[in-house]
Amino acid sequence: MRTKPDRIISIFLLVFAGIYLALSFQLTKFPYAIIDSDVLPKGLGFLLIILAVVLFFQAKDDTEEDKKRRYVKKEDVIILLSVLGALLVYIFLLEPLGFLISTILFLLVIPFVLGFKKKLTTVLVAFLFSGIMYYSFNYLLNITLPQGILPF
Amino acid sequence: MIESILYGFQVAFTPENLFFAFIGVLAGTIIGMLPGLGPISAIAIMIPLSYGMYPSSALILMAGVYYGAVFGGSTSSILLNAPGISGTVATAFDGYPMARQGKAGKALAIAAISSFAGGTISVVALMLVAPYMAKLAITFGPTEYFALMLLGLTAISSLSEGSTNKALISATIGLITATVGIDQQTGTQRFTFGNPGLLEGIDFLIIALGLFALSEVCQLIISRNENTLKGKSAVGSLKLEKQELKEMAGPIGRHSVLGFILGVLPGAGATIASFLSYISEKRLSKDPSSFGKGNIKGLAAPETSNNAATSGAFVPLLTLGIPGSGTTAVLLGALLVVGVQPGPLMLQDHPDVFWGVIASMYIGNLFLLILNLPLIPVLAKILYIPKQLLIALIIVFCLIGVYAVSFNTFHLYLLVGFGVLGYLLKMFKFPAPPFILAFILGGMMEQSFRQAMTISNGSYSVFFQSNITIGLLIVSFLSLVLPTILGLTRRGKATESQDLKKEA
Repeated sequence: MRTKPDRIISIFLLVFAGIYLALSFQLTKFPYAIIDSDVLPKGLGFLLIILAVVLFFQAKDDTEEDKKRRYVKKEDVIILLSVLGALLVYIFLLEPLGFLISTILFLLVIPFVLGFKKKLTTVLVAFLFSGIMYYSFNYLLNITLPQGILPF
Repeated sequence: MIESILYGFQVAFTPENLFFAFIGVLAGTIIGMLPGLGPISAIAIMIPLSYGMYPSSALILMAGVYYGAVFGGSTSSILLNAPGISGTVATAFDGYPMARQGKAGKALAIAAISSFAGGTISVVALMLVAPYMAKLAITFGPTEYFALMLLGLTAISSLSEGSTNKALISATIGLITATVGIDQQTGTQRFTFGNPGLLEGIDFLIIALGLFALSEVCQLIISRNENTLKGKSAVGSLKLEKQELKEMAGPIGRHSVLGFILGVLPGAGATIASFLSYISEKRLSKDPSSFGKGNIKGLAAPETSNNAATSGAFVPLLTLGIPGSGTTAVLLGALLVVGVQPGPLMLQDHPDVFWGVIASMYIGNLFLLILNLPLIPVLAKILYIPKQLLIALIIVFCLIGVYAVSFNTFHLYLLVGFGVLGYLLKMFKFPAPPFILAFILGGMMEQSFRQAMTISNGSYSVFFQSNITIGLLIVSFLSLVLPTILGLTRRGKATESQDLKKEA
């Protein structure tokens, strides 16, 4: 029999609460503060432990519906991870390359990864959307998006 | 009073604000129609656009987005049986069967009129109730506020779908997330790990967009190949007959009141209001078996109620500064971004915002009615946008939103992190609204708790000195314990609502 997912989560929560509590106990204390900055975190840490223990004992076996809801095809997992990867690269390049170039690249890559076939549409959307966003934020809303290597 | 209302209309009727109300309603409708993206995501996505706007205009825009999204949700419920938001699930019970009978236009018209009536009636109630609530709230001290916020948290946790324990865990982690940053009272750095990007704490926009919008994107990616529109459905005529209008009058009257009251209560809101209205209308009906097969009353009741609840939710937000739901929590964050602290003093300090927003709700509701009815067939085309493109655009929009607040790419990584967390929460059935509400309330709760304890010199007895505080604490305790005690009756109800779903 497989371990109930809620049990695994509750153990993970216990570990998290433990680390959080350990960090709370290291917070600097002030002699004159009636309620110091460590009181709430400690309380929350203990509360989370209690709730995690309750979750451990309440854990139920997965129903068919749960399993179906949680089931993700291998192909989809790969795509989810690819999008996540592309997203991280996009964020990494945002400032060095600038908003325009990196966003255009991102908008060209994602629909392709997701299996969108119409190339012309993708290219049009990538250029138009990035351009309009850049223009509206920089010139209409006065919020400067990274300019990067482009002169404008 | 009348002067204040007229003043409100003056604010709302400036060309600028009319424009923002229009844009808000339109954008809200469009975003609300997209399955998965509800009012929370809609408001969060719109926040970056409100930077630098006058607070009154910003809130008028956000309010428009809010009830626009609720309305948009009903459109996709009726046309596709795919509720855009949980508040419009009950709409699909009778709305979708009507659409399948070729009466989609009628169903949309009924939804629009009921929404308009529910919204408008409850705005009147809001106008009457809010000033008194504000007056009462001025007498509130830190203990009352603390107890009230606690009630908000316990109520939303016990009313969330699924296990209360999971909702409480979600809320606790939200509170834990709120402790990151510099402590306001002592200046101690908490859980920042020396990262300057965390000194001011985590911006709520990161959490709202991550937990709600980005996590939905994951869902959209998985369902990217499913076509949202299964075949074209003819909308048909929008005209209603006198008899049909007459039939709607009863449910509209009843459920605008019920919806409003449920909206005001912390934790309840549009979803619960719409379900309760549907069930009660079915109970009242002489012919309950016709429900779920395209009954006009079964459509009018939840539609009236969810919009009435939307306006009702503004009462605690505007007068106490305390949101009662995930959506109003995000609205509160949006207000803080433009520099308005809602609460009892808002009526004095920002009457333009307060009355302007209320007045704009009338106008927004009217816009919803006259704009959306003829435009619905056009707007429904948005559902034809290929998901693959939509996904990419939503991601970029979220990133710009966060970048425009902080100009710090570290926060973008955080956003992605919360997106992943949001997806996991959904996967393992942990509700996200308690998380965001706890996160927003966390700082305030800690502050009022410490103020109260400082006043009493460290004695907890301070929480048992005011009747209001004691009352609120008892109610919040009961809101957690009662559902467990009433577990048996609840099981009965659960099967009933399952029956309802089956019928639909």
